[in-house]
Amino acid sequence: MSQIILGVGDYGASNRPGEDIKTFALGSCVSVILLDPKNRTVGMVHVALPESSINQAKSLEKPGYFADTGIPALLKEMARFGCNPKGKGMEVKLCGGANVMDTNDTFQIGKRNGLSVKKILWKYGMGAVAEDLGGNFSRTVTVSVDTGEIILSSPARPNWKL
Amino acid sequence: MTEKIDREEIQKVIKSVPLLSASAAQLLRTTTDPDHDLMDIVKVVKTDATLTARVLKVVNSAAFGLINEISSLDRAISYLGERLIVGIAIGDCAAQLFDKELKGYEGEHGALWRHDLRTAIASREVVVQSNSDINPDLAFTAGLLHDIGKALISDYLQGTAGEVLEKIESEEFDDYLSAEEELIGFDHPRAGYELALAWKLPEAIAEVIRFHHTPADAREEFQELVYAVHLGDNIAMMGGGGTGADSMRYKLDTNYTRLIDLQPDALAKVMLTVNEEFIKLERSFSATGDSNR
Repeated sequence: MSQIILGVGDYGASNRPGEDIKTFALGSCVSVILLDPKNRTVGMVHVALPESSINQAKSLEKPGYFADTGIPALLKEMARFGCNPKGKGMEVKLCGGANVMDTNDTFQIGKRNGLSVKKILWKYGMGAVAEDLGGNFSRTVTVSVDTGEIILSSPARPNWKL
Repeated sequence: MTEKIDREEIQKVIKSVPLLSASAAQLLRTTTDPDHDLMDIVKVVKTDATLTARVLKVVNSAAFGLINEISSLDRAISYLGERLIVGIAIGDCAAQLFDKELKGYEGEHGALWRHDLRTAIASREVVVQSNSDINPDLAFTAGLLHDIGKALISDYLQGTAGEVLEKIESEEFDDYLSAEEELIGFDHPRAGYELALAWKLPEAIAEVIRFHHTPADAREEFQELVYAVHLGDNIAMMGGGGTGADSMRYKLDTNYTRLIDLQPDALAKVMLTVNEEFIKLERSFSATGDSNR
């Protein structure tokens, strides 16, 4: 079975039967997963930071790093597979966005990533049908192209589904 | 049922790991001396043929993509910079510890080294982005060594991670640090501090190892450095680079603001640099020949 592995700031899509898209150890990063049942295509972006304004050059080179450039980049990628470029008919699922314990506002990057992702999705008229955000633990996420099923894992915890 | 361990037991473990090489120990002392320069580093490396060979191998590795081979040690060291040289020296002679599979934390093979490398970069960037007076190379080195105690106590924690997470969720344990103390009577900063004493590490680095989760308890003169690594450690975990089940299960001491001015934008820049630099550094260190780095 083939697998697409996404690093931090990477995005990718697939309609290949039997394929998975996977990203490791989300921490405060957020994984945005788009599922297009009509085209049997799934896509994922591994967003690290809420806004590209801190480094425009980086956002051109690697748009997936930031929520505001990562989601449009993923939609564009999925359009190559025949999906609607505005995300119409797609389901959204979100995971990640963890924080360390007793954090302050500055260090709540996980929370800000989640909020920023939702704000951008809102602009497209999209909202998450399921989410697994927050907490104090790192998540590894795998999504199956065949079933759209999302499996989450974290060290010393039983795997769970979203 | 887990067994409690004491200082004597930790000493036994420490006796079973190799000593720091003379050149690595000297490099650490040189780095912590505020008056040193790069020539002092060159002098130390020259006394160690194995280290010299490693340094030349790294600088000429694909990770740096140099067109012309560097054969002079002086040039190699000035190209790589002090922190990389110290990193190569420590990484090589403490490989047995850094590469240890942290079964007690259910960490993947190589997770400790990768976390330490991320923490090192993050600690240095915290210092740079907050315009601190701390020497960035020192922050890097201290970050590299901060979690070394995990390699000493991990085996004693085997089979406990699931229970620890449940008890943190139910607030029976405050965080992973207190879980270590409750379960085996010894936490990883204290274990690491025992190693720092045995290895005669410079005081500043020993203090970081001992107090990186409780920076307010560090001695005043070292507090800023300890806080910088405390933040670096948390940033590494937030970036997905923890050591296993304990990742993000520690408390942030938000009183860092007393000593370190890190605004949200600056923190975002730190996180970005950590990702970028980590990929590059991991590649260059893997050129030293270790299969799992």
